[in-house]
Amino acid sequence: MSIHPDTVAPATRLPGGGALARRLVRVVGRDTLAAASAVVLVVIVLAALFAPWIAPFPADGTLATHPADRLSAPGAEHWFGTDQVGRDLLSRVLYGARTSLGIAAAVLVISALVGVTLGVVAGFAGGWVRDVIMRVTDVFLAFPALLLSLALASILRPSVQTTIIAIAATWWPWYARLSAAVAAGVRTRPYVDAARCLGVHPIRIVGRHVLPNSLTPVLVQLSLDAGGVILTAASLSYLGLGATEPTSEWGLMVQSGQSLFTTHWWVAAFPGLAILVTAFCFNMLGEGLRDALDPRSAS
Amino acid sequence: MRRILTATGAVAALVLLAACGGGQVRGDASAGSSSDDTFTYVTNTEIVTEWDPALSYSNEIRSMENVYESLTSYDSATETVEPRLATEWTSSEDGTTWTFTLRDDVTFHTGRPLDATAAKEALDRTIEKAGGAAYIWDAVDSIEAPDATTLVFHLSYAAPIDLIASSAYAAYIYDVDAAGDGGDLDSWFAEGQEAGTGPYTVAEWNSGQEYELTLSAYDDYWGGWADGQYTTVEYRVTPQTTTAWQLLQNGEVDFVETLNPEIFTQAESTDAVATSETSSLQNLLALYNTADGPMADVRVRQAVQLATDTAGVVEALNGAAVEAEGLVPDGLLGSGAGVTHTQDLDQAAALLAEAGYDASNPLTLTLTYAQGDDNQQLYVTLLTSALAEIGVTLDAQPLQWNAQWDQARTGDRQDVFVMYWYPDYADAYSWFVNVFRSSDDPYFNLSYLADPEVDALIDQLPTLTATDTDAAQAAYVELQQRIEVQDAAVTTLWTDTYQRAFAADVQGYTDNPAYPNVVFVHELSH
Repeated sequence: MSIHPDTVAPATRLPGGGALARRLVRVVGRDTLAAASAVVLVVIVLAALFAPWIAPFPADGTLATHPADRLSAPGAEHWFGTDQVGRDLLSRVLYGARTSLGIAAAVLVISALVGVTLGVVAGFAGGWVRDVIMRVTDVFLAFPALLLSLALASILRPSVQTTIIAIAATWWPWYARLSAAVAAGVRTRPYVDAARCLGVHPIRIVGRHVLPNSLTPVLVQLSLDAGGVILTAASLSYLGLGATEPTSEWGLMVQSGQSLFTTHWWVAAFPGLAILVTAFCFNMLGEGLRDALDPRSAS
Repeated sequence: MRRILTATGAVAALVLLAACGGGQVRGDASAGSSSDDTFTYVTNTEIVTEWDPALSYSNEIRSMENVYESLTSYDSATETVEPRLATEWTSSEDGTTWTFTLRDDVTFHTGRPLDATAAKEALDRTIEKAGGAAYIWDAVDSIEAPDATTLVFHLSYAAPIDLIASSAYAAYIYDVDAAGDGGDLDSWFAEGQEAGTGPYTVAEWNSGQEYELTLSAYDDYWGGWADGQYTTVEYRVTPQTTTAWQLLQNGEVDFVETLNPEIFTQAESTDAVATSETSSLQNLLALYNTADGPMADVRVRQAVQLATDTAGVVEALNGAAVEAEGLVPDGLLGSGAGVTHTQDLDQAAALLAEAGYDASNPLTLTLTYAQGDDNQQLYVTLLTSALAEIGVTLDAQPLQWNAQWDQARTGDRQDVFVMYWYPDYADAYSWFVNVFRSSDDPYFNLSYLADPEVDALIDQLPTLTATDTDAAQAAYVELQQRIEVQDAAVTTLWTDTYQRAFAADVQGYTDNPAYPNVVFVHELSH
């Protein structure tokens, strides 16, 4: 969401799949921070996928409570300690990764699908179609993302689904703008003109020439946005507008541990750290990817 | 890129800092309690929202009770009504005529002496305004002032006027001539002025400021002044509990209204600080939908009662609440009904099976509770977990009060409605007439209970309370058995506990939950 459409619009076609992957690995490999972030993220994603098997008390991640074990300090049995109702925090942080990454994935898929479709249509069609779509996009972009999400979340009933809808509604315009710029750039290319003169169907032109060109900036944007989405989702839950008990969600866990911080720091600290590390790594990786894939920023 | 990175840092810092609870102390020390004769009270919300003593029905009770006085006051510790502006009172046999004798040495802050006519005028105005808690005077047909110190209430039905006159709201006696000839009293009050008889007068009011309100001693107060009493009262608004606690530790303030249980534990072991823990008159009710949905079946309501671990919830609240023994909290006539709940999931499962719910026909219940209330959230978490063990899915929605209330009254009714209840004056009648008396158009009757026998019992309560307290006590106990055990319309989850901390040199503080969060500063010394 930070890239202004004017600065991206690589109108050249990318190298083929194999070359792209090699280049990715090479550039990210050169960028130690991005590489380290990628490794950490792989660990987090694996932890999320396998949470039911690796969590020490998997039931605590969902519905179980053990009031008798409440607020145990971190120790051998509970590495991250326990919360107010005796749930193992390590298990909940692991399950929280599922929630947060799940929300991020859903938001990004929805935003990219909606945004890229509208953007490509706008950019390729031009004229009034473009004007209508881009003005709608501008209206959405006029609101700060968190504010609009907050407003949407507060009129809907708080839940994980609401969070996804509220964030996706504010995130798609960035993709629309991005792909509209790319599509508009490609539209006037000689090879597109040639294809058109040969009578190739517009949908086929979009599929073969426009979409592949949008892919790079969208990919970069996706990796940059993942951190932001996770933060926004955590913020909504923290404010009581997102996930609800007993869902394991990092923002919600920080909120419920907040009043305990001076006496039982671990309840808020571990989920807070999880948010910090995940969002940071996504941003670092995103920057690395941008360096790798955006010809203008690659030195 | 930069923007996101900064945002990451900022939000992460915010998350961690918010968790710290804002370790910074605002304001400079010199502006704090500068003189030993100043009592500084720290609260987390704005103090004054309404200056008119007829309409006041909110946070300003903390200061109003030090500026205004009522005819009587209620002592929760002894469960008795005590003299205040009235020295004694009698009632007719049938409880419909009440005669109060007033003190003859009282003057309003305006200079006017208090007599029965002045008291009558004040109460008449409050009743006529019909705002705030004025409904408490519903039984009053007319008020009469036969001589300077005699005030007579004629009622249309028997009611405990001594108790009603002790109300924390709508019972203040004030000078209705305060605005002067031709002055408009409503706008005079709205300017932040007062016309009470209490020990303090308003010295300064800075709406919306941290140092919101300052009161100073009223020299001609009928109760007199002695050395060591506080002559100035400051109300200071500090939203963060941890900040308030630091101010108290630094000796900058004298009294912190609300602490969380964890900080309270710390306060208990701090030398320079004294603490007070008192059971309040506020409890949390889980109201079960007796009218429609799965909970219309009493067995399902009983199963949910049995699945509720009230002891476990109270333990998890860590001192912020105590277990309830029925709908009426300690400190009121009608308390001690001995209605308690013990979790028994096997029996709960058996009742559900009897009601026709099992793995092939699983039960899902909906519950609504207050968004942002950590304590309610704790209860919901524990209940969700317990119900899951017996195959019941609890769909719990945290909602803003208005949304929760609207839905319960006019929308898709929930199965369980969670809300706090407390009385406006020290009378348990409030729970029954408002929450459990049947009503075609539910207002607070959100268990939708419609039990004619319960209604009949409720309707006797005011007369019994006014004429025969033993019979009233028996009626209260019977009602609680009937509503909470037999009808299983509610589980009283807990009674809130007030946890206060104050400077160790403050002498004479007792917490009177009939006047929530009020410190009667004139009673203190240092």
